[in-house]
Amino acid sequence: MYNRELRGPLIIGEKSYHQISTDILAPTETKPGKWWFAMMTIATLASIWGIYSIYITVTKGIGTWGVNNTVGWGWAIINFVWWIGIGHAGTAFSIFLLILRQKWRTSINRAAEAMTVFAVGCAALFPALHMGRIWLFYFIFPYPNTRGPLWVNFNSPLFWDFIAISAYLLISFSFWYLGMLPDFATIRDRTTSKLRKALYGFFSMGWVGSSRQWLRFESLAFILGGIAAVLVVSVHSIVSTDFAVSVEPGWHTTLFPPYFVVGAIFSGFAMVMTLMIIIRKLYNLGDYVTDGHLDAIARILTFISLIMGTAYLTEVFMAWYSGSEYEIFTFFRNRITGEYALQFWGMIICNALIPQLFWFKKIRSSLLMMFIISLFINLGMWFERFNIVITSLSKDYLPSAWATYTPTLVEVGTYVGTIGIFLAGVLMFFRYIPMIAVSEVKTVRDIGKRKYD
Amino acid sequence: MSSSHLIAVFDDETGLVKAVEEIRGKDLQIEEVFTPYPIHEVIHAMGNKSKLQIFAYFYGLFGAVAVLAFLYYTSVIDWPINYGGKPFNSFPSFIIITIVLTIFIVTILSLATFSVRAKLWPGKQHKTYDKRATDDKFVIVVSKDDTDPGELGTIQGIMKANGAVEIREEEA
Repeated sequence: MYNRELRGPLIIGEKSYHQISTDILAPTETKPGKWWFAMMTIATLASIWGIYSIYITVTKGIGTWGVNNTVGWGWAIINFVWWIGIGHAGTAFSIFLLILRQKWRTSINRAAEAMTVFAVGCAALFPALHMGRIWLFYFIFPYPNTRGPLWVNFNSPLFWDFIAISAYLLISFSFWYLGMLPDFATIRDRTTSKLRKALYGFFSMGWVGSSRQWLRFESLAFILGGIAAVLVVSVHSIVSTDFAVSVEPGWHTTLFPPYFVVGAIFSGFAMVMTLMIIIRKLYNLGDYVTDGHLDAIARILTFISLIMGTAYLTEVFMAWYSGSEYEIFTFFRNRITGEYALQFWGMIICNALIPQLFWFKKIRSSLLMMFIISLFINLGMWFERFNIVITSLSKDYLPSAWATYTPTLVEVGTYVGTIGIFLAGVLMFFRYIPMIAVSEVKTVRDIGKRKYD
Repeated sequence: MSSSHLIAVFDDETGLVKAVEEIRGKDLQIEEVFTPYPIHEVIHAMGNKSKLQIFAYFYGLFGAVAVLAFLYYTSVIDWPINYGGKPFNSFPSFIIITIVLTIFIVTILSLATFSVRAKLWPGKQHKTYDKRATDDKFVIVVSKDDTDPGELGTIQGIMKANGAVEIREEEA
């Protein structure tokens, strides 16, 4: 039923199961190259700047940020939405493709899910920080308290955000970890080092690969997969309602939930492509992350880029068609032209135009071009979030309230810090955790190779 | 208490599946089969069933009802607050929280159930009959104490006929 000749084998070359284990586990068993230590140093320095910026924010207050009465949300919220968007791809990749029975997910899902966990962790930092009095963070929990009991505002997207992101973090971490149990057991049984045996043994939770364990494993995977699929769509829709339920021009549109969700999958897939190119090149796992895999991701990115272009056109059209002077001003005078035109056009070029290059086979076959375009997509998505947040706030209904926004070094430092934390997390993942799902990839070894009898 | 087992090691999946299906076809007991990845024919032939998904369904039902009840209690009974003229019992906004929290509750409870039923938790150790079963070998373990010698002979025969690369006996 599934015509494999079109896509080619999912693992290149005749590999025994033992060979597959050895190939994929090699990075966890050998010392990494100099590039790893260099990147780790950069990541650590970035994180240190970030931690210092967080320290300043918490001790001195939000006054150290560039936000003001008019533009009350700045880089913190832009980055929050950006990171959450990136984090959606892991789940989309792994789980949507699981439900659609696409076997080519097996080389990619582990790294994608890892990226999700670190991205959501980084994202969660920003709503916490932008509170100001972060030591009162527990106010957001609806627990029976002595203040009335005072409950939270259940009608507020800000509360929905808190619940959605916590749920998303829990479920993406659990799904990622579940898949690792058999692989940790493989490392535990292979290693000669007592320390590694003890550590991986502890984290493998006693996995032995019995049919009873596999039965429940698959059962749980489908349960978590089924409900996490709902979360992918709902979490970013909830984040979009932070904007959509307001009355700001350019925010108050029913387009936002699908627009945000599709945009999230877009930036996430681009980040997955960046990571998979790194894995393929720097770890020599080209037999597992094949041209076919990268080609498939590039095609999906082209398609989603078209959807994003359509969404941008829809927004502009509706602004004109509505006849609302505020909408027309926001789009035609404040976004397309105006103070923040750079971010608007940056968004259009990076998201809707540059990925169209993937129509050309030559570009889809060049690792360098794919790497560069995937970075442009993430840049474009950052511009999109800036465009949405800042332009609408900066010049809304009352001209006397108009103001501009410039980020301070503290805000920039926090953002750079999260990039450092993400990078450090990914590097540690490469070093200590199998970056491709060993047991899953073994099940697709023979696909595309010989006819079944 | 000592137990003795017959352990057969296979190199490839096809032989293993045929052996397991033949042995189970004769209604003989296999204690367990160890594989580096899940094989559905084996899981099916072993005859075990998991009620995890049914449990998850009921966790979801329980979660949804509990969350809606909590939201109704806090917003309608305990301290109703007029947020911009919205009704106290605002189902459209409640349903969002219900969906997400139900997913959260199903996740936590399913993970706990899985941990208990599969007997997997951090630090747990299970007996490994053959370390290569998590790498590239497929292992069938038959309990000698629960099987007649005649049946044991039949089982060994089936295993050999289907390409077992190693058959050994082990006293524990």
